[in-house]
Amino acid sequence: MTAELVEQAVAIRTVGLGKSYGHGETRIDALADVSVEFGRGRFTAIMGPSGSGKSTLLHCLAGLDKPTTGQVMLGELDLTKLDERSLTHLRRDRIGFVFQAFNLVPTLTALENITLPLDLANRKPDKAWLDTVLTTIGLKDRLGHKPSELSGGQQQRVACARALVSRPHVVFADEPTGNLDSRASADVLGFLHRSVREFGQTVVMVTHDPTAAAYADRVLFLADGRLRDELLDPTAESVLDLMKQLDGTD
Amino acid sequence: MLKLGLRSVLAHRLRFVLCTVAVLLGIAFVSGAMIFTDTLSAALKKNFAGGTADITVTAVSQVDPGTSGALPATLTIDLANQIAAVPGVAGTDPQLLVPGIQIIGKDGRPIDNHGLSAYGAGWPHHPQTAPFRLLDGEAPWGQAKLALDQTTARREGFELGQQIKVVTPARSVSATLTAITTSALSGSAAGAPLVSFDPATAQLLLLGRPGWTSIGVAVQPGQDHAIVKEEITSIAGPDVTVRTAAEVSADGENALDDTFGGFSTVLLMFAGLALFVGAFLIVNTFAMVVAQRSRELAMLRAIGASRSQVTGTVLAEATVIGVIGSTLGLLIGTGVAGGIQLFYQSLDLAIPSTALQVSAATIVTSYLIGIGVTVAAAYPAARRAGKLPPVAAMRDDLVVPERSLLVRLLIGGFMLLMAVTLSAIGLGTQGLPGAVLLAFAAAITLLGIVMTSPLISRYAVRGLMRPFGRQAPVVLGRRNAERNPRRTSATASALMISLALVSGLVVLAASAKASVDKGIADAIGTAEFVVSDQGGAFSSQVGDRIAEVPGISAVHRIRQLPGTVASTPVSVSGVSPGTLSGPIVTRLDAGSLDNLEKGEAVIPRNLANQLKLSVGKRFQLVTSTGKFPLTVGGVIASNREVNAVILSLDQFGAVGGAGTDSTLYLDVADGTDPVQVRSAVLAKVSDYPSVLVRDQQAYAAGERGPINAILGVVGALLALAVLIALLGIVNTLALGVVERTREIGLLRAIGMDGPQLRRMLQVEAIAMALLGALLGVIVGVLFAAAIQQVMAEDGLSVLDVPVLQLVIAIVVAAVVGVLAAFWPSRRASRLDVLQAIAAE
Repeated sequence: MTAELVEQAVAIRTVGLGKSYGHGETRIDALADVSVEFGRGRFTAIMGPSGSGKSTLLHCLAGLDKPTTGQVMLGELDLTKLDERSLTHLRRDRIGFVFQAFNLVPTLTALENITLPLDLANRKPDKAWLDTVLTTIGLKDRLGHKPSELSGGQQQRVACARALVSRPHVVFADEPTGNLDSRASADVLGFLHRSVREFGQTVVMVTHDPTAAAYADRVLFLADGRLRDELLDPTAESVLDLMKQLDGTD
Repeated sequence: MLKLGLRSVLAHRLRFVLCTVAVLLGIAFVSGAMIFTDTLSAALKKNFAGGTADITVTAVSQVDPGTSGALPATLTIDLANQIAAVPGVAGTDPQLLVPGIQIIGKDGRPIDNHGLSAYGAGWPHHPQTAPFRLLDGEAPWGQAKLALDQTTARREGFELGQQIKVVTPARSVSATLTAITTSALSGSAAGAPLVSFDPATAQLLLLGRPGWTSIGVAVQPGQDHAIVKEEITSIAGPDVTVRTAAEVSADGENALDDTFGGFSTVLLMFAGLALFVGAFLIVNTFAMVVAQRSRELAMLRAIGASRSQVTGTVLAEATVIGVIGSTLGLLIGTGVAGGIQLFYQSLDLAIPSTALQVSAATIVTSYLIGIGVTVAAAYPAARRAGKLPPVAAMRDDLVVPERSLLVRLLIGGFMLLMAVTLSAIGLGTQGLPGAVLLAFAAAITLLGIVMTSPLISRYAVRGLMRPFGRQAPVVLGRRNAERNPRRTSATASALMISLALVSGLVVLAASAKASVDKGIADAIGTAEFVVSDQGGAFSSQVGDRIAEVPGISAVHRIRQLPGTVASTPVSVSGVSPGTLSGPIVTRLDAGSLDNLEKGEAVIPRNLANQLKLSVGKRFQLVTSTGKFPLTVGGVIASNREVNAVILSLDQFGAVGGAGTDSTLYLDVADGTDPVQVRSAVLAKVSDYPSVLVRDQQAYAAGERGPINAILGVVGALLALAVLIALLGIVNTLALGVVERTREIGLLRAIGMDGPQLRRMLQVEAIAMALLGALLGVIVGVLFAAAIQQVMAEDGLSVLDVPVLQLVIAIVVAAVVGVLAAFWPSRRASRLDVLQAIAAE
């Protein structure tokens, strides 16, 4: 099913990915045999009801969680074969993160938070790129402020900038607008959208909000740990329709 | 509320483990000291009960002669006869007991009594009133026979019939051991090594003149002791005490108590330090725990708990910790006391032993102190918890309201101001009062810094950590140290206080050593050798014999005894003619040294200032034998060797000084080889094995010895203080890791690896350790230098700051910081990233 969806080079893919907790009768499959590819320079949303395994999939993709079976291939690199230390360095150098909340280190300023992955890697930021990112998030006058002095939307935009600044292979966003009002959500999603369009960034986002999913190029639907359906060039209405359909079939 | 507190302690075991350890350490020292003291006195009571005459008459010394060259106050045989005539008295037994005896062991060296003085006694006249008993052999008779106590004889391997050498303050004697006795059963000599002679010989050898130190009185059966005591008191006159056996036992005067009491004092010092430093740790823990649990506590308020009830739950937690810490501390303290007892038993002194005495008072005191300290330290946090508004339960962003730092800073500033004023007054006051004022000012300064340290830490941490670079983990660690100045500064304060204490003592000790060297170099002039004795005073025969050695051109004698002038304790020195003009270099300020031979006194400048005396003034000197009017005949410059009321040897004898020397200064004739002369001198005094003949350097090294012993105790204090400060840093970091779980998860998620995480925590720990160490060393050194200034005239003439040692102390503090970060960083790097991010 997935083969025909490959339009561009693949940024990251999974092969027969499974994740289960417990043993025997109490065994729960959070993910079961998920094989999926994420195209380079595409914005993919993952949706599904609570407990569908969408967050687990994201965590496995990002090297934060270890799958029970299957592989996660970042280019030619199998993430499931890496030890903790290599995974850490991989996250630092080749992966960007935006979490739902608590994205920023409270003791660092906005700018320091943005350059933190580079500082941890002892790398100098690419000035021109940093400037581009900072212009795009549009918080140039608030860069010296601590996170506690920024609004929730501003904090998430800073987190997005941090995710982009190291030019990662993939940016993973876990419900990035979950705690924001609609206006701030639009800011953050617009920013992610532009990073894909203008800079060719690959973004994978977990969300339960059809409006947010509509910013993506493609929406994957998960239920009970399995890939159920997908939608290309979604709108809020088409996402909502498909969700209703899937609910009906359960 | 207690139940809630108990549950909370159980739920957060880890957080409270270190608090408990801090309480435990303090209480272990407190209870160890108390148990040891109780055990010792119980043992003394048990073993020495009943060893006293019905009534004891003792001569009163105005001044305790101790083991110096002063003669003990004596009673005459006439008084004994008068008492014998008192109705109801069955018999009297004049007794003689003199401290400061040396028993020479088989190796030719004086036996080591581990600080106890050996006593010489006259053989008792009647078994009924005897202060000790015959166990084996026959009572000694004449100068060729003596008796020894059983413990000493057994330990040193002496048997009946053997020749034993004994050095008394008067002379050196060799005699046959004819009797084995018990130790003295009561009084100051109880349990101490005891040599006895027949009464007449004892007076000759121990006192050098007739007299008795006490009279034991046996009362006729059926007579009321109290009435007989009244009768005796009425004829005995002043300067004599009359006590019944019960009173003697109640007074409990005992050399063992004095000797081993010092041990308890040291233990109590440790206890004080441990509890004081530990209190900071407890304060921090509770502040953090309350901050972390603010929502839970606010929820209690929301469902109807009153302020005092919420405060109560927190205090209940403190109580639980206090109880657990005190209980464990008591157990360990009992072990400590048992260990000390075993150690002393292994020395095989005549120390009685009994089961460890864990009295109710010890238990109650331990619990009171343990719980009291914990609850008091937890109180500020508990009060803040009570002030939490119930709405905090509903809101995410509301934290415990921290009282503004302003009040605290103002109080701290006021204290610092007070400390400065006190220091100024102290610096203007010479001598000991100035030093006491400065020590007090130092204590207030430390408290002032503790109060203002949140402000100090805010600025100091950045500067201190600059050399560590600007890498991400370093910056993060530094910011973590800066983010909660109260916590950082409280942790650092514990270390600061320890290091201020230790560095102050180190500087004072180094200065004392340097001053000893300089004082000796300045004061000793022509003398080639200094003769002294480990045991204090020694027989004048030593000097007489040395004078006969060819190549010795002069022997100068100094004798000493304690006394008081206008209630101020002073030393009294007798000097042979010419000692002050050559062997000892002294500058004459006023009067004339010739006045010494007229029976007048010469005093050094510092003493003259202290006693407000000048040439021509009259004053009264009180010694163990009486009161003597004297005139100041001269004032000399302050100097190290004779800091005393100086008299001629004749006048010294007249005021009660014994004919024993404390120091001899030897002049060597020109053109003779000092090394050969020294060997000849040593050969002459081989009868006195404990006599030391040293040149100036060796003498100075010997005089520095006691200071080194003090430094040993300081070292142990340092180790303990550093240990607890280390616990404090571990505690703060560990709680910080718990508190910042999500932040650590985030950092891990975006690529901070294990070593970087460790480095971040190490930097925070080093910041706290360096802040505390530097502040402590600065305060310690400044005040030690100030104390040296005011004590310059009183023996601390030189300031010596051992820079290397202090730098090492600071480096050690930084290393300790690194070590302290080990455990918390291991915990932090094992956190599961996903769980950490999801953590509340």
